[in-house]
Amino acid sequence: MDKSMIAGMESLSEEDKRMATMIEQLQIRDSLRMYNNLVERCFHDCVDTFKHKSLQKQEETCVRRCAEKFLKHSMRVGMRFAELNQGAATQD
Amino acid sequence: MAGVPPAGLDNEQMLGIAEKEMEYRVELFNKMTQSCFNKCVDNKYKESELNMGENSCIDRCVSKYWHVTNLIGQLLGSGRPPV
Repeated sequence: MDKSMIAGMESLSEEDKRMATMIEQLQIRDSLRMYNNLVERCFHDCVDTFKHKSLQKQEETCVRRCAEKFLKHSMRVGMRFAELNQGAATQD
Repeated sequence: MAGVPPAGLDNEQMLGIAEKEMEYRVELFNKMTQSCFNKCVDNKYKESELNMGENSCIDRCVSKYWHVTNLIGQLLGSGRPPV
């Protein structure tokens, strides 16, 4: 956090500060949840043999692609979701 | 759901409502993301880019999920049991 942000925080009212704390907590909880979900999904889709103890090359590649793809997907959904929330969605 | 704050609520209650509202939005977004990923993205992960078919599927999926959300909201809110 830089100085200008701290200066900004000081001018906020008590409610705004509590609101900011609440949003921060939601974000932490949400990113942990997303992390767990992503691990579960990519593990499920990419790892299904247990002949070795460590991740095989193709499993690792699959996991990387899975994670990258999910994040890109999530960003796109986020964009569309924001449009819908603003009521700026075009019909079809 | 958002709108003019109802009279007679103090800041504490308003903050509580805002928090619930935000949690609801986050939950909706997460469920939508998971559903549309399951429906639109091939789980063989041949590449890390989303292809054109997947992209348009995602856009339509989000739009439809939104419509279903509104539709069911109306059914639940209309006060009569859904047929």
